[in-house]
Amino acid sequence: MNYRTHFLDFENAFASPVTLWITVGIGVALVLAPLVALGLGALGKLTAATRRDVLVRSATWAVIAPAVIGPILLGRGPTVLMVAAVSLWCYGEYARATGVFRDRVLSALVAMAIVALAFASADNYYRMFVATTPITMAALAAAAVLRDTPAGYIQRVALSAMGFLLLGSGLGHLGLVTTDAKYRPLLCVLILCVQINDIFAYCCGKAFGRRHLFPRTSPNKTLGGHLGALVLTAPLAAWLLGIVLDGTPAGSVVHCIVMGVVISVGGQIGDLVLGSIKRDVGIKDMSATLPGHGGVLDRFNSMMLVAPAVYHYVAAVNGPFVGPEHVLLRLFRL
Amino acid sequence: MEPFTYKPASDHGLTESQRVQSVHREPGLVGVLGRRLACAAINVYFALYHRLRISGRGNIPTELPFVMVANHESHLDALILAAAVPRALRHRVYPVAAADAFFTNYRSAALTTLFVNALPIHRKKVPARALADLRHKLLDEPCGMILFPEGARTRDGALMRFKPGIGMLVAGTRVKVVPCWIEGAFEALGADAKVPKPKRLTLNIGPALVFEGVPDEREGWERVAWEIRMAVEGLGVSPQS
Repeated sequence: MNYRTHFLDFENAFASPVTLWITVGIGVALVLAPLVALGLGALGKLTAATRRDVLVRSATWAVIAPAVIGPILLGRGPTVLMVAAVSLWCYGEYARATGVFRDRVLSALVAMAIVALAFASADNYYRMFVATTPITMAALAAAAVLRDTPAGYIQRVALSAMGFLLLGSGLGHLGLVTTDAKYRPLLCVLILCVQINDIFAYCCGKAFGRRHLFPRTSPNKTLGGHLGALVLTAPLAAWLLGIVLDGTPAGSVVHCIVMGVVISVGGQIGDLVLGSIKRDVGIKDMSATLPGHGGVLDRFNSMMLVAPAVYHYVAAVNGPFVGPEHVLLRLFRL
Repeated sequence: MEPFTYKPASDHGLTESQRVQSVHREPGLVGVLGRRLACAAINVYFALYHRLRISGRGNIPTELPFVMVANHESHLDALILAAAVPRALRHRVYPVAAADAFFTNYRSAALTTLFVNALPIHRKKVPARALADLRHKLLDEPCGMILFPEGARTRDGALMRFKPGIGMLVAGTRVKVVPCWIEGAFEALGADAKVPKPKRLTLNIGPALVFEGVPDEREGWERVAWEIRMAVEGLGVSPQS
């Protein structure tokens, strides 16, 4: 097999029209958003503060979007590395916010487990990917004993285990998607729909949001926003998934609609999960890494539940993603 | 079951450039690993280039908090004292450095943070508040600090007056103050030198002092500074074997 094209096949970046549409669409949005903000600001339709906020967010998006879409266009190898980097960064923010970062042994174990998941994804080694989670749980429970400090044992193990499950294993499923031949359009659809779901929820909430569903968890989110996001995102996701998965059992209308609903609802619940964590800890943002957005985790929270849900839905309907196993092991003659 | 109590990083919410310039900086896994690598490289440098000799290492407390103070001869001084700190405590011991010299921009601050683990102190503005922040960090975290109470490097090799700021940090507390004497740093990298010379360096570490009974006020601060200066000077006059 040709290892170069397996890990780095930018020649086929736009083999699927969906990848091309989404890449172009994101590029156009990145250019239009600040122009629209400036135009509306000049017409007096936006306050100076809102205009500045939109410009800062757009500038940050201009960095995030290429950093995420670029590796996907380059190939499997860069995609898996990007997912691992995002997982590690998100876990770092979570650990610093909850305080579990002070137990460096546990954080080191979670970091190693995330690297193991990335290896399993790159190696197309599904059994290793599955085994990493229970082994990591056992390692965390055992390693936390070594300090001989029972006070706070449950908290330390629970916090690190939860961090790994949501941000290591959950987000790690994005890397596992690369084991499928259609990983590029699938990842593009997931990323686009999850992010646009947030934007739809924000816009619909502003337009006709009245009733607050979770006022203590996320006081700015409204029923109108939730339903609006669902009504707009689910059909878009279903349509795009229908094109990507055409010719497979999961490409049927019913399955695509179900997955569209899963993406929208899962994205919003992921957002609320992080909202609950932040309220519990007593912070507003996970960090100040991304101006206008907060932390990297504030941007990727919606993905941590959607990625495993969609991956396993497609795998359950279509059968396991198949491909050449032990690619890395063979490459290094191990 | 005990309720969960969360204590986010004390530098939570700061951007990276704010973090490296903040006294509230708290290192994570990557920061500690980076520091350990930097410390290993610095120790090799001192051993090979300056043949650093340390006496009285056993006087350094094994538990935090504590403050190490010494005469200030060169920019090498903080690194020399840090090299004597036990490895397990090294990432929790912070040299206090002049913000106007080492934290003027992000690159300088990041390098100072990585290699020296320094905390900034603004010499020309709000020293009282800055020292109060350092005192809270010392007691609450707890951590160790490395200080040069003269406030500046000597221009002629002689020991200068100790400023009372050291007293504001430790007066009325059980924080141990470890007096140290650095020999040879003035010849290796004096205030006017740009490149260190391969001169031998010696660090004498004396028994720790405690100022629990000293009132936390101007008179007490002056007394603390004077007593510490005497202890530091004594190490220079009759170095420990």
